[in-house]
Amino acid sequence: MKKKVIVACGGAVATSTIAANKVVELCKNNGIDVEICQCRISEIASNLPADLIVTTSNVRRDYGIPLIKGMPFISGMGVEKTEANILKVLNK
Amino acid sequence: MIWEELDRALILTELEAENFEDVMKGLGGVVVKEGYAKDSYVQALIDREKEYPTGLDASGVGIAIPHTDISHVNKSGTAIAKLTKPVTFIQMGTDDEEVQVQLVFMLAVKDPKSHLAKLQTIITMIQDPEFLKKLIEADDIDNIIEIIREKEGTL
Repeated sequence: MKKKVIVACGGAVATSTIAANKVVELCKNNGIDVEICQCRISEIASNLPADLIVTTSNVRRDYGIPLIKGMPFISGMGVEKTEANILKVLNK
Repeated sequence: MIWEELDRALILTELEAENFEDVMKGLGGVVVKEGYAKDSYVQALIDREKEYPTGLDASGVGIAIPHTDISHVNKSGTAIAKLTKPVTFIQMGTDDEEVQVQLVFMLAVKDPKSHLAKLQTIITMIQDPEFLKKLIEADDIDNIIEIIREKEGTL
């Protein structure tokens, strides 16, 4: 089944572009069929439903689906753990 | 390649700033003056930084990658500033975790999709603390461009 991942940041300009690309690569390498929706934080709600939200900004709101911080894709620290968490959600 | 496209006018080796707003005015002002962004760019950077901070602790080296909505940008470019003393930024993805920033990579992004490769190169480079330390120690623009050229060659 195709999974939908929302990748969001403040302006949908730089960091979510990077994070979205990383999620696509990760899914490709793990045989997961994925649809990515890149948007601003303020647009997350209107892009639901989805299986997962990955965000590079601080989000306090609960959207009722798993949310994973994509910061490691930018800082380079803790990437493996973040990737494992993403796979765990998408392989469910 | 990033280094080939760097505009020397967008590289500041000694930017004096007391706070992040000074950084936006100083470096963002140059980006506007050189025609890369509209007058609204600086205020947009400040507003966005308050809501979605861009400070990063890259393995002990504090950097920031301020950027803002494409509507304020005329053409894509990368501006770099070395700060004469560390300035407090908030870390990306947090509300209140501070980081002392010494190096700023300001991104003027016009078309994120077509600049993915370049953005990715920049992000990959700033994940290397040794590279960042070299930049902080660089004393002139030629030196900065050379360090970036060298780093790009290893990617």
